[in-house]
Formats: sequence, structure tokens, C-alpha cells
Amino acid sequence: MTDLHSDEFVLTVLRDPLTLTVRVSGELDYDTSDDLLRAVVEQLTEPCAFRDVRLDFRDLGYIDSTGLSALLMIHRRTSAAGALLHLDHRPEFLERMLTMTNVLDHLTAGGHREEAVEAEQDDGATEAGVP
Amino acid sequence: MPPLVAVSRGIPARPSDADRTVGTTWSDAPCPVLVADRDGGLVRMNGAARTLLPGAVDGEPLDRRVPVWLSDAHLRVTQGLHAPADAPLAGSIDDRFFAAHPTPGADGDVVWWLVEETDRRLAQALDDAQGRSRILTEVSSTLLSTLNVARCMETATAMAAEHLAEAAVLVAPSQGRRYPLTHAQRGGRVSHVTQRIDVAAVPGLGEALQGFPPVPARWINPDDLPDWAVPDGFAGPVGSVIVTPLPGHGVPAGALILLRSSTEQAFTEGEELFARLFAARAGAALSAARLYSEQTRITETLMQELLPPTLTSVHGVDFAGGYRAAKEQDRVGGDFYDVHPAAHPSQESLVVLGDVAGKGLDAAVLTGKIRNTLHALLPLADDHERLLNLLNGALLTSRHTRFATLVLASVSRRGGKVHLRLTSAGHLPPLIVRNDGTVEEVDTRGTLVGALPAVTASTVRTVLAPGETCLLFTDGITEARGGPLGDDLFGDHRLRRALTQCAGMPAEAVVERVQMLASQWVGAGRHDDMAAVAITAPKTGRLTVVNGRASGQEGRRNR
Repeated sequence: MTDLHSDEFVLTVLRDPLTLTVRVSGELDYDTSDDLLRAVVEQLTEPCAFRDVRLDFRDLGYIDSTGLSALLMIHRRTSAAGALLHLDHRPEFLERMLTMTNVLDHLTAGGHREEAVEAEQDDGATEAGVP
Repeated sequence: MPPLVAVSRGIPARPSDADRTVGTTWSDAPCPVLVADRDGGLVRMNGAARTLLPGAVDGEPLDRRVPVWLSDAHLRVTQGLHAPADAPLAGSIDDRFFAAHPTPGADGDVVWWLVEETDRRLAQALDDAQGRSRILTEVSSTLLSTLNVARCMETATAMAAEHLAEAAVLVAPSQGRRYPLTHAQRGGRVSHVTQRIDVAAVPGLGEALQGFPPVPARWINPDDLPDWAVPDGFAGPVGSVIVTPLPGHGVPAGALILLRSSTEQAFTEGEELFARLFAARAGAALSAARLYSEQTRITETLMQELLPPTLTSVHGVDFAGGYRAAKEQDRVGGDFYDVHPAAHPSQESLVVLGDVAGKGLDAAVLTGKIRNTLHALLPLADDHERLLNLLNGALLTSRHTRFATLVLASVSRRGGKVHLRLTSAGHLPPLIVRNDGTVEEVDTRGTLVGALPAVTASTVRTVLAPGETCLLFTDGITEARGGPLGDDLFGDHRLRRALTQCAGMPAEAVVERVQMLASQWVGAGRHDDMAAVAITAPKTGRLTVVNGRASGQEGRRNR
């Protein structure tokens, strides 16, 4: 395992047929949040069949409010793409932030939310298809 | 009388009168010398002249061999139109430059002495070029050292009048229908005026203000210039005019009108070119100043709008606030607080302290939105969760997930005690300092606002006895990095310990103490915004009257 205090921000992207995993190392803040968002969204824009998007935080050194804002946006995108977001190996400070801001349940919500989004999209498609 | 006919080539058929005047040693002169008769025929040349005009034969008409300026000059001299006192005649032959000095003889022949001045000319041109580049350097360094737009326009106009013309008028881009004009005369005062002008009255000005290349000076009739284009007190009628654009960074920075009176030499093509170079430097400096002042104005406006209010006592409750902006000066911070006093002492005042995610303009806009929305929602403050949901709905957008965390405190005083309703929306919970020094964390939890479809929050009620304080603060304080190793967080435990020592202190002192300790912890390092608001139940019934002044006066009288 790398040094927890390492400032170097590194994203490691692993792709399985059904799972996208992004390992986030270093500090997720004002300067780096956009990189994470872009990296995930890039993978989602291709016609994808990801069931799960996993963000691995085992080497996360720090996160600020801009980092949390990026996580919220990633959740919006994964929901829209019909994938489930997982926040793995959360360090204690991340856990505390997610609890204090009361977004942990939202970010890792189970199937029904995604189904609802999908249902909404299906409705839209059906309506658009009717002449 | 036998003249010396020691000329080796081109021995004349007859001795010329001019020969007698100057002698014939001219034939050995190192400079080209030629003799022409009154009819413009070439009589004789020396060796140097033959080298200069190869192929020339004696007896040929002069104008077939020499440039027009010299044959014309010969014509004038033979007709007696050229006085010796006149300026020496000069011009170029091939790519060399000569001054021509005539010595007329009685028989109408004229000896022309051609003195080469090519090198002096080149030296002069070099001098001019050096002088101009010195001026351009001066323009850039002088103008770029000031970022004040008005000052920059003054300097540019004054320098233009000094180095390029007798007077200069700088026309800045219009402000609405009026144009700021700066007038300057060489050695005179510089004046500003903003007025409505007809741009079309000066040929080429409209185009120059749009950044198009200048029209040649000879196209502008000086008599047609409107009054505003000529500075007051300009000596004599205008002789020649240059209008040149001031090119800025992508957008025109204005136009420069240069004027010379009719008694001065008209602008040459070279001077027009130089004026464009000058304008390019001045334009770049001006638009830099303009951009800078625009940016400063925006930042100032935002800061003014976002500056936290000064807090005092409201309906028997003491409030104090402190805000220390992050050290990055170009970025408006994301912390804010407000106290909305109740209309009546029996009602609740609302305190808000919050922190917006992000920095700069984005954060500033969101902060403004939150403060305004909350102000409008004040009548609904009896239910914090509902208030937060309304606020959340107002902030929600599909474009981004920028959010805010905040704490709401509804405060009222009843019977000497302060009653609080506290709700955190994803923010650090408030801390309460009891009179015995215990520090309690208020157990309120809630969702951040602005990013999720709906929010939940729990409200906690508590009471402050006189002397007790409730502190709302942002994570800039607990996450201040510093300490002995330079990278430790100030942290929750240090804040609690500091607050323990603040038991019984007035609101102002609590905020001061917390801010001071956090700042000391950070030292010279970087820190985020730090904001804190203290709500304190004032201690009652303690009155101390010290009449030191009276006793002092008494003492003086006794002396």
C-alpha cells in the first residue's frame, strides 16, 4: 500500500465487462475533483453495460467539499446510466463527511432508485416513439 | 592667357569661364565634379564623376544622364533662381546619396561638386531608428507600470503629443452614446472630457474605433476636423492629421488622432508607420489596464455583497461573528453568516452560518443565492426542516451538484434565558459552552442542501443560562493545518479545549479567542475561510461603576 500522505493524485481505471473500478489515490479536492468526474463520465458515455461503478478510496489522503460535490455528480451520472455506485474502502474521514452531510445512503442507494430513473427514461422513450 | 590644360581625358575644345573661376585642379578632386553649360549640356566630368555616371559622354544633354533632381537644380541655377544661401541641394544617384554644390561661372557654365553623404545618411537613419525604438520602449515601460485606465490614457496621449505630433486626442471606446476624450498638446496640459461626438466627422475614426487599419494621412482634410478633435488653444490651423487605431487584446482599445499645424512639416509615410507602432504599444497597455480594472470592479462588487455583517446585541441576546478569508486573494470565499433579527422581542431571530462547496465566482454566486432565498423564507423559519427543503428546491439544478452545508439557529430570550432551536444541514454541529466549562456538541443532523432531490434534518432545542454560549463555526477552523509539524489539523479536540477556557466570556471574546488560536495554529501557512458566530446569553445584574476621572481631577486640584 502506498503512503497515505502522498500528495500525488492518481486515478487507476480497471474495466470488467460489468464493473468499472476507479482507484482514487491522493487528495480529492478543488484541483483534482474534475479529473475524477471526467474519468468516470468518459467511461460511461461509451455505450456501456456496466452494472456497477466502484470507487476505491483505500489510498485517499484527503477530501474537501468540492470532492464531495464530484461524488454527488458521479452518482447522478451512474444512476442515469443505470449503474450502481459503490464507495469502497472508505477511510474514516470520508465516512465522517458522508455521515455528517447525510449523503451516504443517497450515494449508495440500492436498486429501486436506479429502476425509477430507468422507468422514467423508458416512459420518455415510449412517449417520444408514439407519433 | 594659356590655361592649364593638364586634364588627361576629355580635353575641352575651349577653356570654360568656370574653369577660370575655380581652376582646373577640380579634375583631380576625389569627389565627382561635372560641368554643364547654360543649355543643360554636359561639358566635362572628372574621373570620379565618370565612375559615378558610367557611359556618360561630353556634350550629352545633362538630363539624360543624371537624376531629375540634379538636372532641375541645374536649370534653376542657370536661371538665377537659386541663391547661394539656400539649403544645399541633395538627392540620390543610384543607391548613393549626394549633396550638390554649384559654382556658376560668368559664361553660364556651372561646375557641380557632388559631395557624398551616403554614410552620414545611414548614420542619421540609424539614429532615428534608435530614437524611435527608445520611444517605443519608454511607451511600454511607462504605460505598463500603471493599471489605472484614466492615468494610462493621459500618459499615452501626452507621449503621443510629445514624440509624434504637436497635439494628440485619444478617443476611448464609447460608454453608451458618449466617448471619453483625452486631449494633450506638446508641453501643455492633458485634459479629459466625456461627450457625445459624431465619430463619422473624422474620416477613418469610425473604422479605427472598430480596429480597422488606419486610412493614409493624405486622405484626411484638416479643414474638415470638428472642434472636439482639436485641443483648445491649438496654435494655428491644422496642417496634417493621422488617425490610427489602438489595437487591444482582441478588442479595440480606442483610436488616436495626431495633429500638426500647417506651419510644421506634414506627416511622412515613415512617421505614419511609427505612429502605428506607437499605437500598438499604447493599445496593449490600455487594454491591459482596462481588463484589470474591470476584474477588480467585479471582485469588489462581489466582496461588498458577500461581506459578513457586523453583529451586535439583538433583543437581549449577544451575537458576535468573525470571518477570516482564505489567503488566496483572487478567490472569493465560500463561508457566510447572517443574523435576521426578529420584528418583536417575543419572536425568534434567525442565525445562519454556512459553507458553500467550491471557490471563486461559482461559490460567490451560490452564496448570494442562499442568503437571498433564506431572507425571503424567514416567515417560515418556525419549521427548520421545511425551510431547508424549500431552500434545497430553490438551489437544485441539473447543471451541477454544488452544495452548501449550513446551521440554522432560531433564538429568543425568555426570562433571562436564551432559548435555541438548532438544525444542522450537513454542517458541523454547534458546540455549547456551559458555565462550568463543559462543552457539549448539539446532536443535530441533516442533509446538505442544493444537490439531492429532498433533504431531511433534525432540530434540537436547548436553553442557555446567562453567561453560556453556543458557537456555530465552519470547518476552516477545525481543518486549519499547522501546529508544530506544520501538517496537523487544529481539530475538534483543540477547539473544545479552547472553548472550555471560554466559559462565562462574552460572545465577542469567545469568537476572538477561537479565531486567534486557529490563526496561531496555521501560522504563516495557507488556510481556508474561517467563520464563527457566537450566541451568548448575557450575564445580568452586574454593574460596576468606577469614577476614576473624578478622583484624578481632585488630585490635580490638590496639587
